[in-house]
Amino acid sequence: MAATKSQGSAFTLFMVGITTAAAGIAYFSTGTGKLALLVGLVVLAWSLFMAFKIKPLEGRIAAGAQPAVMKLVGIIVVLIGWMIVVGGLFVTSSVGGRFTTTIIGFAVSLVGVLYILPAAVNKNAIWKA
Amino acid sequence: MKIVRCASWICALAVLLMAGAVTVARADAPPSASTAELKDALAKAPTTSTLANGDPGGALTGTVNDVPVSDAKAGLTLGDTANQVGQNKIAINFTWTLITGFLVMFMQAGFAMVEAGLCRVKNANHTYMMNFFVYACGLFAYWIIGFAIQMGGAAGNGNLGGLQPLSGEFPVTLFGHTWGLFGRSGMFLAGHTYDVGVMVIFLFQMVFMDTALTIVTGAAAERWKFMTFAISSVLMGAFTYPIFANWAWGGGWLSQLGANLGLGKGYCDFAGSGVVHAVGGLTALAVAMVIGPRIGKFNRDGSANAIIGHDISAVLIGCFILAFGWFGFNPGSTLGASGAGCLRIGSIAVNTMLAGCTGTFGALLYMWVLKGKPDASMSGNGLLAGLVAITAPSGFVNTAGSAIIGFVAGLLVCLSVSFIENSLKVDDPVGAISVHGTCGLWGVLSVGLFADGTSNYGGSWNGVTGSVTGLFYGDASQLVAQIVGIATLVGFVFTFSFVLNWVLDIVFGQRVSAATEVAGLDLPEMGQLGYPEFVLRPEPDYLQVAEQAAVA
Repeated sequence: MAATKSQGSAFTLFMVGITTAAAGIAYFSTGTGKLALLVGLVVLAWSLFMAFKIKPLEGRIAAGAQPAVMKLVGIIVVLIGWMIVVGGLFVTSSVGGRFTTTIIGFAVSLVGVLYILPAAVNKNAIWKA
Repeated sequence: MKIVRCASWICALAVLLMAGAVTVARADAPPSASTAELKDALAKAPTTSTLANGDPGGALTGTVNDVPVSDAKAGLTLGDTANQVGQNKIAINFTWTLITGFLVMFMQAGFAMVEAGLCRVKNANHTYMMNFFVYACGLFAYWIIGFAIQMGGAAGNGNLGGLQPLSGEFPVTLFGHTWGLFGRSGMFLAGHTYDVGVMVIFLFQMVFMDTALTIVTGAAAERWKFMTFAISSVLMGAFTYPIFANWAWGGGWLSQLGANLGLGKGYCDFAGSGVVHAVGGLTALAVAMVIGPRIGKFNRDGSANAIIGHDISAVLIGCFILAFGWFGFNPGSTLGASGAGCLRIGSIAVNTMLAGCTGTFGALLYMWVLKGKPDASMSGNGLLAGLVAITAPSGFVNTAGSAIIGFVAGLLVCLSVSFIENSLKVDDPVGAISVHGTCGLWGVLSVGLFADGTSNYGGSWNGVTGSVTGLFYGDASQLVAQIVGIATLVGFVFTFSFVLNWVLDIVFGQRVSAATEVAGLDLPEMGQLGYPEFVLRPEPDYLQVAEQAAVA
């Protein structure tokens, strides 16, 4: 099964929900704004539920399960690298010192992006079977 | 008491006499030179009857008579003339920014042709439709919230009249400095942001944002479920792109690295190698990782198969359309043609075309010398790589710098395509991750190396007095600011996109079914073949994997 009316309905609901929620945020200081935000979030949740319900009907995909823990580890490593970069800006005020901490942090992030995450997403890749 | 009263009356009389004398003196004074000149110009201006005879040479049209007069009784004043000069400056800048924005909008057509041409014929309609619909998805998301997040605190641009309604940046104070995080003015372009200048900057920034979105469709082509693509694009236009764009262009913390920490002029990205292309390229990498490779792309030993696109002519014409649109992308990023150093637009345009040229040479020569053929698709990608790389430095470098930046990008894109495919085992049908991600990051870095310190956009950049100057011209701190930007692109943008699309995969499912993928996405997903009268030739055996074999 491919694109269906149910998918179209779920997407329509998603658009209605995000628009209403955005209008609620824009006018949050008013009572109508708060109500719009609430309604928008409910409609968004409804669209997610609808999409989640029809997902199993759409046929099997050509992709293996990607280990969640390994992916989380990869994401955390990337974020730690970025934190080193941002934090390093305040550890020292010298250009050389900041250059060093920035490079170290960036290298840590690259380990996550170029080694851990590709290994995670390819661990059960179908082409290995 | 009487004496005091008398003295008071005498003083008052004296003041009155002096005031009267001054008034009389003013009335008798000859008109100032400027007023006299205005009157003289009015007297010499062609009359209606003269103009009725026609003005074939153009010497009579556009005179002092065309300057609006604010008070008919007073006639034309110097104030009227000055106001008209000011409005002319803003009008020139509005027109420039809008027209260059229109050029950037047309790049969507180029992207569509490049991406569809590099995909198989059985997926042509689906690929074209993704490039078509991403425009609507992005625009709508940007209107409802994205623009407010990005530019909602970006007031102060003198080229476009100040943009004062956009003064809602949300700040945090950290280590004694104030840092911008996101904007808050401009949702739905309503209220006080219903403003002529805001509309211009909205249009210009919107087409940039949509460029970033359409990069992702290339990397996930031939297997992306249309519904999930649409939702992912809406969320990218609403959040992913605007957040980083605020940090770089909207008065956010990256742009404040210079003012707050003394790192050069802060993160500098003239037209978006980082903001547009690296954001698009890194999001493309995240989506391609989550969605997985196409059936038949990799063999069991991990070696990659070439899956040839169906229309190289579309690819090369698309590249030319993109190169044409780039003249809007880079020179347009001055946001004006009058005032504040905007006359550098010629230099920016030349840098743009030169980097595209050397990027083509870099990729073509690499393929010809090392692989034996001047590969067409890689040559096209070389052109785009050069253009992507020069986007950030185009306003800050000279022609020699731009030529080097473009050539390096042309080589880099070939190496990156090979690395992503053979080492990372990530399937990117059109090379979007390499062209926009890798070369976008190289463009950001190159500002910190090649900026020659001659640009002068109103005397300062990101609130720091002076010109943007890179390492090779004496400012090492600018290089640090650029690397912080690169690290943020990789550390934040990639991670944000990866998590977002991972969640979408769990809820909606990112990938079409194996049966749909083998059959081609045109009929199952779109209900119509891209080329219904074509007879499809059987694909090679490795691409003829049965559904059962493809599914894990």
